[in-house]
Amino acid sequence: MIKRTYLFTGMLLFVLIAACSNGNVKSESDELVIAWPQDIGAMDPRGYGASQMFAQNLIFESLVQYNAEGEIEPLLAEDWQQSEDGKTTTFYLREDVQFSDGSPFNADDVKANFDKVLDNRERHAWLELANQLQEVNVIDEYTVELTLSEAYYPLFEELALVRPFRIAKEVDGQYVGTGVYELEQHDRDERAVFSGNEHYWSDSPDVDRLVVQVIPDSESRMMALDNGEIDLVYGNGLLSMDAIQYFEDQEGFTVNQSNPQATRTAVLNTNRGPLEELSVRQAFIHSFNTNQVVEDVFYGTEEPATALFGDHVPYMPSVDPYDFDSNRAEQLLEEAGWNLGEDGFRVKDGKHLSLSYVYDANDAIQRTIGEWLQQGASQVGISVQLEGVDNQAYLNAQKSGEFDVIYQETWGAPYDPHAFVSSMRIPAHADYQAQLGLEKKTEIDEMIDQVFIATEESKRTDLYDEILQEIHDQAVYLPISYTSTIAVYHEGISGVEFAPIPYEFQLEKVQKNAPDA
Amino acid sequence: MLRMLSWRLCALVPSIVLLSFVVFLALHLIPGDPAVAYLSASQLPITEEAIERVTIELGLDRTVWEQYASWVSSALTMDFGTSYMTGEPVIEEFLFYFPATVELSVWAFLIVILSVIGLGSASAYYRKTWVDYSSRLFSIVGASLPSFWLGFLLLYVFSMSLGIFPSGNRGTVAHYVLPVLTLAIPYIAIYSRLFRTSLLEVEKLPWMSHARARGLSEKTIWLKFQLRHGVLALLPVLGIVMGYLLAGTFIVENIFSWPGVGRYMMNAIVQRDYPVIQFYILVIACLFLLINLIVDLLQAWLDPRQRHQKGGVKHV
Repeated sequence: MIKRTYLFTGMLLFVLIAACSNGNVKSESDELVIAWPQDIGAMDPRGYGASQMFAQNLIFESLVQYNAEGEIEPLLAEDWQQSEDGKTTTFYLREDVQFSDGSPFNADDVKANFDKVLDNRERHAWLELANQLQEVNVIDEYTVELTLSEAYYPLFEELALVRPFRIAKEVDGQYVGTGVYELEQHDRDERAVFSGNEHYWSDSPDVDRLVVQVIPDSESRMMALDNGEIDLVYGNGLLSMDAIQYFEDQEGFTVNQSNPQATRTAVLNTNRGPLEELSVRQAFIHSFNTNQVVEDVFYGTEEPATALFGDHVPYMPSVDPYDFDSNRAEQLLEEAGWNLGEDGFRVKDGKHLSLSYVYDANDAIQRTIGEWLQQGASQVGISVQLEGVDNQAYLNAQKSGEFDVIYQETWGAPYDPHAFVSSMRIPAHADYQAQLGLEKKTEIDEMIDQVFIATEESKRTDLYDEILQEIHDQAVYLPISYTSTIAVYHEGISGVEFAPIPYEFQLEKVQKNAPDA
Repeated sequence: MLRMLSWRLCALVPSIVLLSFVVFLALHLIPGDPAVAYLSASQLPITEEAIERVTIELGLDRTVWEQYASWVSSALTMDFGTSYMTGEPVIEEFLFYFPATVELSVWAFLIVILSVIGLGSASAYYRKTWVDYSSRLFSIVGASLPSFWLGFLLLYVFSMSLGIFPSGNRGTVAHYVLPVLTLAIPYIAIYSRLFRTSLLEVEKLPWMSHARARGLSEKTIWLKFQLRHGVLALLPVLGIVMGYLLAGTFIVENIFSWPGVGRYMMNAIVQRDYPVIQFYILVIACLFLLINLIVDLLQAWLDPRQRHQKGGVKHV
C-alpha cells in the first residue's frame, strides 16, 4: 500500500514538472540558436586563449576582408594605395561607420587599435605582420598610413584575420565593435546573446537575435538539434560523423558543407628509415585508397585530396596526383630492391619495410586514418605500426622529427599557403623535420624566404610553383582529404553560407521562417 | 566536544599542506605542456619561439620548487593564482562556477536521502515480496550503469524522443530533472540496498525482542527503533555521498551543459591549467575533510556512545 502511494506521488511530481516545461523545448522563432562547445570567452579583439574567434568576428571588423574567391576586398577601408617600394600603404576609410554604441569610427581608432598590437608585439609575433609593421600614422580623419619594414605581400591577408588587427573601442571596460552584431547578454558558460548592431553601416542580420548556447558534449549537441532547442549546428567537428549521417537520413534537416578548407595529410619523414627513399614514399602514397576512406570514414562529407593544397588555394600549381594504385606501388618497391619476405612484408638488405605512424590517441579520426594507412600499405608489403600517443607526445614528435609518418592538417584559408609554407622553415614543425632528407631542402627554404619579399606577382607565382611542385614530386605529403565546415539545420532555416575562412561564420545571412502551426 | 572540534580542525592543516605539495608535483609530472595547450586553444601556430614566450609569460620557466614556493606564499594571502586560459583569478572563477554544482548536488542529495529511506524501508518492510525484488532489480541495474550512459539514456528518452525535458543548461525546474536524476540514481541504487540490510540487522538485536516483549506496537517499534537506528547507521555514509556528489559532477555537467565546477575542472585538465586544477583539488579535499568532520560531530551528538570512545574525549 505504502509503496503504491509513493509510486503515485512520484509520478505525479514528474508529470507536474514535465507540465511546467509545457513539453515545448523548441527555440523561439525570432532568434537563431546555435550550439558551441565552450564559452565565447572575453570579447577582446586581441584576446587569445578562451576568446572564441567566431564570436570576435561577429563583433569586430577589419580594414579589408577575404572573399569567397580568396581575394581581398574592402571592408572598413574603401580603398588603398601602396608606395613604389611596397613598404607604405595608405588606407582610405569608410566615412559612414559607427561603433555599436553610436560613436563614429575614424582613423584614430585604427591607430589606437594597431598601436595596442604593437605595444604587445611579442604576443602577436606569431603573425609576421606584427613584426613587419613599423608605424601607423593618421593622415586625416579618414586616412591612415601603415609603414612596414619590408615589402610584405601577405599584408592584406593578415589584416583580414580575426585577430589581432581588428577595430574596437573600449566603452566602460567593454569592447564594442563596428560589426554586424553586438553582444547583448553573456551568461558565462551557459549562453551568449548577440543582437543586430543598430548602427551598422551595411545590411542588418535577417534574424535579429543570435543565441550561442554552450553545449560541451557532441552527443548532447546532436540531441538538442534533434529536438529543436538548437536551430543550427555550424562548424568543424561539432557533430560526430554518425550524427551527421543520422541527420542526412532524417526528414526535416539539411546537412550542408562548405567548399574545401584545410587538407588532412600524412607527413612522410624523408629523413628517417625506409622513407628516405623516394620510391618507398611514392609507393606508400599509391597504396592509400583516398576515395574509399572519404566514403567510409567521412561519409562523403569531405572531398578526397590530391595534393598538399587543393586547387582552391592561391598559388597552388596543378600537379599530377598519386592515384590509388597497388600495382604501381608494388612495382616501385620491387624496382627499389624491396622484396617480399615470408611474412608478407618486404625486406631489403636484412631490413624490414616497417613504418611508424604517430597520431594523437584522443582523436578518433586520426586513429581511423592510421588503420586505413596500415591496411593499404600491408597490401603492398609495407608494415605500419600505429603509435597512438597523448597530445603532448604527438606535438613533441612533430618537433623532434621522431616519426616515420605523422598525421597533420594544413591551416586553411587565409593561412594557406603563405603561413603554412613559411612554417616549413621552422625546425619545430613536422614539415621542416620531414623535409630534412630532401636534397633541395636548403634551396626550398631560400625560395620561401624570397617569396615573401618578392614585390612582383609573377615572380611570386614562379617561386610558389617551384616550391610546391618540388614538394609534390618528392612525395613528402600523403594527401587524405580536404576538411570542410559542416552546417546541419532545421527546415525553415535558409541562407546558410560559408566563408572561406573557417572561423568567419556568415550567420547574418541566415533566415528563419516561423514554424508551421 | 569543543576540544575534539579544535583538535580535529588543527589536524586538517598538515593534511592540506601535504596534499597541496603532492598535487603540485603530480601536476608537473603528468605529460602535457600548458604553453602548448594554450597555443592550440588559441589556434596559434605552435612554434618554438611561441612556446618559449608563453612559458615565460606563465612563469613555467622556473624550477618546480620556485614555482611551488611562490604558489604557497601567495596562497597564504588567499591568492591562488590566475587561470592560464582566461587570465582571471582562479578563486573568483571557482566561486562563479561552484554555486551551480552545489545546486545540482544538493538536489541530488535530497533525492538520494528520500529515495534511499523510502526504497530501503519499503523493501525491508515488504521483504521477499515483489516490492523487495523490484527494488533489488533497480539497484543492480542502477549501480551497474555507467553514469555517462545513464545520462545519455535519459536524454534520449525524455529529451530527444519525448521532448519533455530540455537537453541541458539551466533555467526552469525542468532543467534540473535529468541531471539530478543522473547524478542521484547510482547512489540510490547502492545505498537503498545498504539501508535495507542495516534495517534488517537491527531486527536481530536483543532490544528488539525486549521492545516486543514490552508489548509495544509493531508500528512504534518500526518507527522508534528500527528506522531510527537504520538512519543512524546511514549517517556517515551520507556524508561521503555528499562529498562524492560535489566532486563527481564532471560527467553530468558535461552531458547536460551545466555550468559548474566539474566542467570547469575538466576543461582545465584538458588545457593543463595548473592553477585551476591545483585549487580545485585542494578545495574538494578540504570539503571531504570538513564533511567527514561534520558527520563525526553529528554522530557524536546523536549517539552518546561515540562521545565517550575515541581519544578518550570526555564531555566537558
